[in-house]
Amino acid sequence: MRGKPLLLALFVAGCSKGPDADLQYIGEARSAAAEWALVNDQAAQGRLSGAYVTSMHKWLRDDLQTSLSSLTERNSVYGAEIQALLLQPDDAAPEALRAHAARLKQIEDSLESA
Amino acid sequence: MNPLELTLGIMTAVGGFVDISELVFAAKAGSTFGYALIWAFALATIGIIVFSEMSGRVAAVAHQPVFSLMRHRLGLKLGLVTLAASMIANLITCAAELGGVALILNYMTGAPYLLMAVLMALVMVVSIWILPFEWIERIYGLLGLFMLVFAAALIAIHPPWHQIAAGFVPHIPAGLSTKEMLKFGYFVVAITSAVMFPYEVYFYSSGGIEEGWGIKDILTNRVTAILGMGLGSTLAIAILASSAQLFGAANVDPVIPGSAALEAAIPFGKWGLVVALLGMLFAVAGAAVETCLANAYSIAQFFGWIWGRHKKPWEAPRFTLTWITLFALALAIVVTGVDVMTLVEFAILFSILVLPLTYLPLLLLAGDKKYMGKHVNGPLAKILGWLYFAIITAAALAAIPLYILTSGGNS
Repeated sequence: MRGKPLLLALFVAGCSKGPDADLQYIGEARSAAAEWALVNDQAAQGRLSGAYVTSMHKWLRDDLQTSLSSLTERNSVYGAEIQALLLQPDDAAPEALRAHAARLKQIEDSLESA
Repeated sequence: MNPLELTLGIMTAVGGFVDISELVFAAKAGSTFGYALIWAFALATIGIIVFSEMSGRVAAVAHQPVFSLMRHRLGLKLGLVTLAASMIANLITCAAELGGVALILNYMTGAPYLLMAVLMALVMVVSIWILPFEWIERIYGLLGLFMLVFAAALIAIHPPWHQIAAGFVPHIPAGLSTKEMLKFGYFVVAITSAVMFPYEVYFYSSGGIEEGWGIKDILTNRVTAILGMGLGSTLAIAILASSAQLFGAANVDPVIPGSAALEAAIPFGKWGLVVALLGMLFAVAGAAVETCLANAYSIAQFFGWIWGRHKKPWEAPRFTLTWITLFALALAIVVTGVDVMTLVEFAILFSILVLPLTYLPLLLLAGDKKYMGKHVNGPLAKILGWLYFAIITAAALAAIPLYILTSGGNS
């Protein structure tokens, strides 16, 4: 008997769709945006090597692309936000990237509390 | 005692603790839960010290490596199951480490990731082929000490030491939602698995036999296990604490290994970044070598083949062929383009399932007076051994449900 709620929870965890299922990818995109800002911040102060910065940009973009393609609802506010983020140039201003991260965080928080 | 005798412990610990999984897990644990998971690292560190010391003592006294014992103690069928599960866990871990090395070289040079994976697989095969065992330990273990930059970086950013100290006391942060609680639980299980990876004990005990340990080396074994693992743990905790301070506040949940290098770059600039990347390179490469050799040791010991890097490669042909094949398989996995972090998650999951089967025979043999004589487990080793066996068994049972419920700690 005790196993049933766990099995049900596992089943639900595997089947969820919509904003709830997308929460993980919104969080990942928020984190990638914030990290991108951090990298650009440090790069602007000459504290990072060129190869590292280029490489980090590539992997962070890959992460963002993966988050976007994993969304079950791409035509959503958060989907649009991630797409807008991907349009930013590699050397985008940290403030602009942080603004995207903040908007994604806001969406994340509101979905979590809903 | 010659300080160079400690290199086995340093390589095992730096490559075992601060491998690709810790670089991401410690950083992620810090950014997500602040200093609240330090105790999980500390607790698991005592566990790996207990079992490493036990495996080294058994190697020194009974001259038996872990997998010979496994076959005798578990019987052929259960022994084979353990061997197969360990092989899968070690192979996935080796592939993750190899991918990690390629990623780090990509951060350092900008050279293509897959090309670096192929090149580094070749470099590692050649280095194992031509170098004596002691030099494999010294090169990967001692150069991995560049990782000390993470401890220096933590000091440089003036963290709240009282909060770090409080993190050593086992607790669950107040006010977590059910979802966050499950995620916290998953992190505890994953950290336990990552710190107590079975390959560390296979490598360490086989390394003791490679070095010809005898009863006179029991003290060396004890000191090596405590200092080596203690050092690895300190570095992992430094990465966690820096992450709590630098990434937590910035809303960054690091998911790629390169993020950890930022922890050294922020206080020390370019040179901090270079030293951190070098340390990561040698630590992760050391882990790749460890996992591959540990796998080959296990297979050779289980089937009773001639094994060891103290022999010329052609004097132990099946062992040599096994470790080369394992590197080739790990490279084949990386070349498929599978994400390194996915490999890390699977490695952690598989390893935790293997842990109880790995440590039970060891615990039984180290407690057997017939084999160990007066060097049998004392009361402290006995209590700690069985306590940690209970902990890893509970963690193994909880691992899969927690993994599914939290999407591998990502939701």
